[in-house]
Amino acid sequence: MTPKVLAIRRAPATSARSLGANRKLRHGQIFRPAGLALLCFALLTGCSTHSLSLFHPKGPIAATELHMMIIDAVIMLGIIIPTALLVTWFLWRYRASTSRGSYDPNWSHSTTIEVVVWSVPLMVVAVLGYYSYKGVYEVNPYHPTVIARKADGAPIEVDVIATDWQWLFIYPKQHIATIDELVIPAHTRVQFHLTSAAVTNSFFIPELVGQIYVMPGMPTEQAMMVSDPGTYRGFSAALSGPGFSWMQFQTRAVTERKFARWVAHLQNSPRHLTFPAFDQLARPTINVHQTPQYYSHVQSGLFDHVIEEVRMGKVFTTPMAMTAHM
Amino acid sequence: MLVHLQGPWTPLIGRLALNQIPYDNPVIVGAFIFSVAAAAVFAGGVTYTGRWEYLWRNWLTTVDHKKIGIMYILVGMVMLFRGFIDAAMIRTQQVMAVGPQSAGHLGALHGYMPPYHFDQVYSAHGAIMLLFAVTPILVGLMNIIVPLQIGARDMAYPYLNAVGLWLTTVGAALVMLSLFVGDFSHAGWVGLTPLTELPYSPGVGVDYWIWAIQISSVGTTLGAINLIATIVKMRAPGMIWSRLPVFTWTAMATNIIGLTAFPVLAATLFLLTLDRYLGTHFFTAGMGGNIMLYTDLFWVWGHPEVYFLVLPAFGILSEIIPTFSEKPLFGYTAMVFASLIIAGASWMVWLHHFFTMGAGPLVNAYFSIATMLVGIPTGVKVFNWAFTMYRARMRFDTPMLWAVGALFLLLIGGLTGMMLAVPAIDFQVHNSVFVIAHFHSMVLLIAFAIMGAISYWFPKVFGFKLDERLGKRVFWYWVVASIMVFVPMYTLGFMGMTRRLDYISHPSWLPLIVLEEIGIGLYWVALYYQVKQIYVSVRDRRKYRAGPDAWWTTRSLEWMTHSPVPFYNFAVTPVVHARDEWAWRKEQGLTSLRPDRYQDIHMPKNTPVPLILGALSFALGFGLVWRIWWLSALSITAIVIVLIVRSFDSNTDYVIPAAEVERMERQGSGASGTTDTGRYPADHTAGKRRFRAARPQNR
Amino acid sequence: MGLPKIKIADLDAETLWNDGHRTIDVAASDTTVLWDSSHHEHDAISTRTFGFWLYMLSDAMILAALFTAYAVLRHNYAGAPTAAQIVHPGYAFRETLLVFSSVLAFGLTMSALKQGSRAGVINGIVVSFLIGAAFLGMEFHEFSGLISQGITPERSGFLSVYYAIVLVHGLHMVFGLLWMAVMVVQIMRQGFTDNVVYRLLNLKIFWQFQAVIWVCVFTVVYL
Ligand code: HEA
Ligand code: HEA
Ligand code: CUA
Ligand SMILES: [Cu+2]
Repeated sequence: MTPKVLAIRRAPATSARSLGANRKLRHGQIFRPAGLALLCFALLTGCSTHSLSLFHPKGPIAATELHMMIIDAVIMLGIIIPTALLVTWFLWRYRASTSRGSYDPNWSHSTTIEVVVWSVPLMVVAVLGYYSYKGVYEVNPYHPTVIARKADGAPIEVDVIATDWQWLFIYPKQHIATIDELVIPAHTRVQFHLTSAAVTNSFFIPELVGQIYVMPGMPTEQAMMVSDPGTYRGFSAALSGPGFSWMQFQTRAVTERKFARWVAHLQNSPRHLTFPAFDQLARPTINVHQTPQYYSHVQSGLFDHVIEEVRMGKVFTTPMAMTAHM
Repeated sequence: MLVHLQGPWTPLIGRLALNQIPYDNPVIVGAFIFSVAAAAVFAGGVTYTGRWEYLWRNWLTTVDHKKIGIMYILVGMVMLFRGFIDAAMIRTQQVMAVGPQSAGHLGALHGYMPPYHFDQVYSAHGAIMLLFAVTPILVGLMNIIVPLQIGARDMAYPYLNAVGLWLTTVGAALVMLSLFVGDFSHAGWVGLTPLTELPYSPGVGVDYWIWAIQISSVGTTLGAINLIATIVKMRAPGMIWSRLPVFTWTAMATNIIGLTAFPVLAATLFLLTLDRYLGTHFFTAGMGGNIMLYTDLFWVWGHPEVYFLVLPAFGILSEIIPTFSEKPLFGYTAMVFASLIIAGASWMVWLHHFFTMGAGPLVNAYFSIATMLVGIPTGVKVFNWAFTMYRARMRFDTPMLWAVGALFLLLIGGLTGMMLAVPAIDFQVHNSVFVIAHFHSMVLLIAFAIMGAISYWFPKVFGFKLDERLGKRVFWYWVVASIMVFVPMYTLGFMGMTRRLDYISHPSWLPLIVLEEIGIGLYWVALYYQVKQIYVSVRDRRKYRAGPDAWWTTRSLEWMTHSPVPFYNFAVTPVVHARDEWAWRKEQGLTSLRPDRYQDIHMPKNTPVPLILGALSFALGFGLVWRIWWLSALSITAIVIVLIVRSFDSNTDYVIPAAEVERMERQGSGASGTTDTGRYPADHTAGKRRFRAARPQNR
Repeated sequence: MGLPKIKIADLDAETLWNDGHRTIDVAASDTTVLWDSSHHEHDAISTRTFGFWLYMLSDAMILAALFTAYAVLRHNYAGAPTAAQIVHPGYAFRETLLVFSSVLAFGLTMSALKQGSRAGVINGIVVSFLIGAAFLGMEFHEFSGLISQGITPERSGFLSVYYAIVLVHGLHMVFGLLWMAVMVVQIMRQGFTDNVVYRLLNLKIFWQFQAVIWVCVFTVVYL
């Protein structure tokens, strides 16, 4: 069990603010006590706070998403808890076994109450709708305003291709590629282009960025930025077949210098990635230990090539042997 | 034009082969032995007591809406049990498969099921629970109660009703068969493309899933037509719209959804079938197909589907709560409109199931707000139930406990639903076990309502009550079990646990997962007491006998006929004067059930045709799954012929003469000409003594 | 027993829709009528027709889903022939004429039914049947031509949906013809019983509905 003190130090609102990425995040202060309460509730049923990855955002997008969650939960709890209390009170007070409640056998209408019960939720939805609308732009995968404002310098571009059942990360500018390991510099905008060679997956690094689907035959985009160097778990969050549970990857956010060294190192990797080599690696594979692989000299245009091939009807068929009686 | 298949195919038996029967898997063999034993015990029992003819005459060929309803519920219960076994298997796999070091058994890398098998288990669980357990039970309840509540003799189309039943049963039977012959879909209950396309699902699993759902959804659509027509056309004189009981109103709203949404599912599955059988390109990623089209079409049905299930549950609460509050429902008009608004709005929110697909911000924002708007009429319902309890005199019999439990589940599920409805939040929790926890709060609400409905209407249908003490025990075990299973799931969702995991890489999640497993144990205890309750109540049914008005404070028309309800429902159709007619009559002291004079009754005759159609549809489904073309062609031809032959039969009704009705009323179930309102039968007073003094003297 | 033979003249739309629930409102103080002793039967024909309308609604939803698919896939040619290359509006227009004449013939059938003329009804049905069969013949010709040129549905998303939508309509037409054939036999054997009359009324709805769908197919797919 981690001591509670630690939990409070790492409370979501605090870490969100410490980012300083977004002035709006100060709202977090208002909701901080409630956020803590929520965390404590989670703690009651949970064990280690380290695992509550959603409460430890390490990038502006995840932080905004957490912030949204707290706003929404607090507002909703503000109406759900009183309702629950009201019901409980009625249940207690008007139970038949006491004569305390004043029984009124025909009372079944009150215009005042009707007006209130329709209009209060309406107002609450209006508020939530406003936040939701705002949030949609802040974390819009194609153009997240929480990052755009900060972005200076050229972003790192990464093309992500999901296969059955591995992740291929291509750095098109650097002509290198990795499997099941994503390495990026911290404090830099990372621009993802994503597609799949086989079936739909969902690209997700909880502490850094929310999900986006990775679909065959079409590209999607995602942008993110890491505020703390470290290692974060990424994985597919959409069922894609037998190898799905093992479709994970490590995200290592490192300093600019380390990143440059890593790239240079990889560029000397003996294995090259050509179109035919891709066809080999994209065959159905369960990478049980997520062992990373590295490639250099990635044939340029591989990402578009994969999309084009899928559009032309290319499939990486799951062999019957992987399904029958497994 | 037929597609190229992996694996062998022969004209005679299609893809079927001996190795499709998993006799080497001990779990399945065990299940098979259990099923065969259960069937043998049943058949043996029927033979031993010489009841085959009774079974045939009174059940298999019946067109009586109450018996059909009972059979719907029985099918649903069996499937609920199967769904529960699946749930237990899911949880057991997950508790065994935590951490890279966890052991594997029976050939699995972790746990005891390899991924492909595990995937089938939760896919079957989801499909079964929604479509073959909860749906039949609710349809069955509507079948039994709606005609009674509106004072009708039967449904509008009794024969069609039986067809619907057997088609639903065929769907369930196909799912059960897939366990023993071949496999079931591994692609989740939603079966998203391209995973369900032939290259990625080369076996027969997805075909089983398609045809089971396709055939039973025809049944559901027919049922919807029948219920709407019944409500519109068969109401007793005086049963104007503004007097319709709220359960009937929700049945109306639900079946409007059913009638319009299920055809969309049928069309979607049909196109997927073409892809898998003829190699077309509707939902493929390449060759001009569009995978998002499937996702959209599926959820255009899938979202209304969950409201299809929840609305009758709301209706049940609206019946139970007033009865045990001894008050009319608060805000009748608002309740009716809320139901209709929910039904209508359910069509406009489907995209919230895939906010993460990368639609533009405006699209996401629209669907987010539309989704949240549904919370308003739902909230109105919650508040109206609450104000029904205000200044009430509440008793907490078993049905009321379930209803109150359901109310709280709705609050929890609603809270989390409103979180999911915000895209910026959904990006983090989509496809996590947080979603699982959200919708299990909601589906458990339905399960609670069902349990409440069964204990509430049981005496109406069978003439005796279920044991209260055991019923309450079942309730409390369910409550604790549900908390143990699903509250940790919310936490795990915050920890980033994805749904549908065969192997769980985080050892630190183990404690919570163990907690869930203990919850499953408590469900088993609940199930034990459930069975015991039924056993005890049937054994001592004399002791539990109930009059027409089983709960003494009921309000609607169904309580105005005998318990058990005679096959003609009401000897003479009642005339309706008030919204809660029975409560009104009790107030006026008009509680006699004996009409001034009896009349001839027209009744539909029994017919084996629906059963035959069911059997043929089963053959059709089986033939199509295994691509046995001759069998499919033969059975479809036979179906058409049977339909045509039946259409020539004009001798489908018969008449019971008035004198005969009178004789049956005098000596049959309705030995008592008047009800015993206000007079508690001696053996019921024990538990009620405490508040009995406070009741007004009913006439 | 036998259900009362209905009077054909009553069968206008008014009576079909408004068989009406008599609303009996009796204040409790009056002599209260508790049981309905007026021995009225629910009008079987109107109940049946109502149910059929509901069925048609569900069928319309199936077609709505197919048209949605069409709207999404219509330009997904994937290198296979395009709409412009395989669709012949002129030919389809002649098909349209056939559909409408068949519906017209069936309309005449219904007026014969009002007069209670067996021969009129049977002749009318036979004529609609033949015209309907001619339509299917044209459709068969069109599609066998496409297939013989190797333009099969599995070549592209567009072709898939094109085949599906036109042939689903065609399947409905086949079903309608089968129904007509059965009705002819039933009229000959049973005359205008309740059952036969409601089936003819439903068949009329069904047949007209197919014309409506064809108009949609024609304008969306062929024009
Ligand atoms: C109506 C719908 C419904 C219901 C009631 C339930 C009920 C339960 N569900 Fe399920 N569930 C789904 C619908 C439902 N579920 C769906 C749609 C999915 C998603 C599938 C997918 O991913 O594709 C899912 C997935 C799902 C998962 C998968 C999570 C994952 O993906 O990681 C789990 C895991 O724990 C689970 C557990 C349970 C449990 C413990 C219950 C318990 O509440 C069960 C309690 C039931 C009983 C205790 C049975 C009592 C039996 C009787 C009363 C019958 C008595 C009759 C006789 C004796 C004849 N469900
Ligand atoms: C019967 C079932 C049922 C019901 C009733 C609901 C009701 C709701 N659901 Fe749920 N849902 C499911 C079953 C159900 N859901 C299932 C099965 C899935 C997953 C399918 C799958 O992927 O396998 C799902 C998934 C799901 C998602 C997608 C999650 C994801 O995959 O990422 C979303 C997102 O918006 C959502 C939202 C909602 C909302 C907003 C409601 C609302 O209707 C809730 C309204 C209720 C309240 C709000 C509480 C009462 C109101 C008050 C006390 C008044 C105050 C209220 C306000 C101020 C608004 N649901
Ligand atoms: Cu949705 Cu691509
Ligand atoms: Cu939904």
